[in-house]
Amino acid sequence: MNITLKCFAGLARHLPAHAKANAAKVEINEKMSVHQVIDFFKIDREEAYLVILNGVFICPPDRDSTILVENDTLALWPEVAGG
Amino acid sequence: MVFSDNELSRYSRHILLPEVDVQGQEKLLSAKVLIIGVGGLGSPVALYLAASGVGEITIADHDKVELNNLQRQIAHDEQGIGHSKVSSCYQRMININSHIKINPINDKLNGELLLSQVAAADIVVDCTDNLTTRFEINQACVTYKKWLVSAAVIRWEGQISVYHCGHPDSPCYHCFYGGRNDSRQNCSNSGILSPVVGVLGSMQAIEVIKLIINKGDSLIGRVLLFDALSMQWESMQLPKNPNCSVCGS
Ligand SMILES: [Zn+2]
Repeated sequence: MNITLKCFAGLARHLPAHAKANAAKVEINEKMSVHQVIDFFKIDREEAYLVILNGVFICPPDRDSTILVENDTLALWPEVAGG
Repeated sequence: MVFSDNELSRYSRHILLPEVDVQGQEKLLSAKVLIIGVGGLGSPVALYLAASGVGEITIADHDKVELNNLQRQIAHDEQGIGHSKVSSCYQRMININSHIKINPINDKLNGELLLSQVAAADIVVDCTDNLTTRFEINQACVTYKKWLVSAAVIRWEGQISVYHCGHPDSPCYHCFYGGRNDSRQNCSNSGILSPVVGVLGSMQAIEVIKLIINKGDSLIGRVLLFDALSMQWESMQLPKNPNCSVCGS
């Protein structure tokens, strides 16, 4: 099934070549969890601290139990804590 | 409050805004804001809030000004190198607006000192550079039910949000970053593009002013994320975590 994967900042290197404006349509397996999708694209779970599914933050304890469906948008950002 | 001609002139461009007007400017002049950290983010926050006429501003930082700060920490200058950041920032603020009260605290704001300062403020602005301090500030703001305007930056990235645990739908900072131990990355070892701190710090100042005059929509329950390299903003909903160890029931 297809989802939109968005990767920002240093994570943008994980996007496929056809990505535009930090987003790309990608194909994943049915019934994958958020963590499984992150692993599927060989992205470091620690590096992708900010996980946003359809515009809503998914906190770390929910990343195994949250399952993606067709046409979802998953956005990944690194942690930001400096000042 | 009756404005002098001098004040009417100084704040005229605020007063011309229907959302601010004389009443809003009075609220600004009566407000007490605590700014924790006067480095990259804290510099624009302190300068804009002083210029805007926030009546009482406390600035806290325990660092001294170093040469490598001047690339982005615009409240400081070459004369300030070796002096405390709060004295350097105080001087800039008072040069802009000598009619407001500024309390400089040249100390690490934690423990009892942090609690007493948070309790005394209307709004707390987190401009610090590490998660441990951010968690402690968040805890104090939850304890005293204070507004927390929080931003962070690194490399080409920034984020900003507003928290208030007295607000039924508001998460706290721990709902967001509670799953994280202290960060391995900061601006000192990862780098930071100078104007990125200006963008995020200026937005913190905007949110503080909106909260004081009670206008517009605050960032409660939302986080804005900024990637300067691709010039993209993302808006994300941040739900309250019912199991949060700080603000959960
Ligand atoms: Zn919380």
